[in-house]
Amino acid sequence: MNQELQLKLQAYLDGELPDGEAAEARELIARDGEAQALVAELANTSAALAGHEAEVKLPETREFYWSKIQREIARQEAPVAVPEPVDSWAGWAWRRWLPVSGVAAALCAAVLLMVLSGNSPAQLAEAELRSDEMGAYTYSDQQEKMTIVWFYDRGNDSQFTPAPAVANIHRE
Amino acid sequence: MPPVKIMSKYADYTSASDEELVGGAKKGDMGAFEELVARHRDKIYARAFSMMRNEDEAVDLSQEAWVKSWQRLEQFQGESSFGTWVTRIVINLCLDQLRRRKRHRTESIEEMDEESGGVERQMPVVTVNPTERLERGELRKKIEGAMDKLSHEHRTVLVLHEFEEMEYKEIARTMECSIGTVMSRLFYARRKMAALLADLKTETKS
Repeated sequence: MNQELQLKLQAYLDGELPDGEAAEARELIARDGEAQALVAELANTSAALAGHEAEVKLPETREFYWSKIQREIARQEAPVAVPEPVDSWAGWAWRRWLPVSGVAAALCAAVLLMVLSGNSPAQLAEAELRSDEMGAYTYSDQQEKMTIVWFYDRGNDSQFTPAPAVANIHRE
Repeated sequence: MPPVKIMSKYADYTSASDEELVGGAKKGDMGAFEELVARHRDKIYARAFSMMRNEDEAVDLSQEAWVKSWQRLEQFQGESSFGTWVTRIVINLCLDQLRRRKRHRTESIEEMDEESGGVERQMPVVTVNPTERLERGELRKKIEGAMDKLSHEHRTVLVLHEFEEMEYKEIARTMECSIGTVMSRLFYARRKMAALLADLKTETKS
């Protein structure tokens, strides 16, 4: 008897065959002794297993077992602690400066322009924005009583944005 | 002074049905959930143990199943009993663990023979009914011993079909294999069990 036939007999025993194939299996069992013996063995094994699974008891007390479950549920449901933002001058300045490498470069250019123009910071007046495509950042230092405004080219992806941006440094 | 009647902390829940307890647990009642755990913990642990054959692993996986069942309570709509629903969770956890373990170990030649199939066709048919003249407790013990001798795959398919009464297609879906593979493994597992029980019965008689 080939494996396909053996598996078909098992499926018949388990009620997994469609009606037509089940009828064929019944006929085979009725006329073939080998098929009968195989089905009987499979049926006896299933009968031996049914209702005779070992009764296994949990080897822990109710309270101990539950305490671990409760602890794990609490751990998984605990809100994740979000670190408070650092609100110092250094943190604020770092957050402002870090993503704006182009702005830093523009500031350098602005300071350079100041030096080259011969003007002292106190003498600078307000400058006119030369381009609609320019953006501006403002930084005020209360301690130094200084306000810096620098401009950048919105359309330029390069880290260094050369002038014609003009910085306005206003000292109070 | 009259005696003080001490109420068990479990008294409120022990008389409630599973449905009532599930309803309470869904609203966040931990006490109700604890009662459900107490009622079904042996069954869930036993299923994990039958698959893993290791006490510590079975305890860990059964507890993990309870944690997951708490998290997924809203998904339980009563299509099956609550105990059956949690049993399915622990079965899947056990299968995940067995798959992880299989990725990190080398199969023995015997296991490869079992996987490739064909061995079971050469086994002589067992004509003796193993349940005859064996007491219930003795038969259970013999079955446990025989189950230990099966590979994880064959034991799992036997557990799912014979003890969980799952159909072939559900077993295939659970074990992530084809129905043909389920049938082959089940056939091998049954024939191996028959041979083992027959040998054990022969030892008992002699």
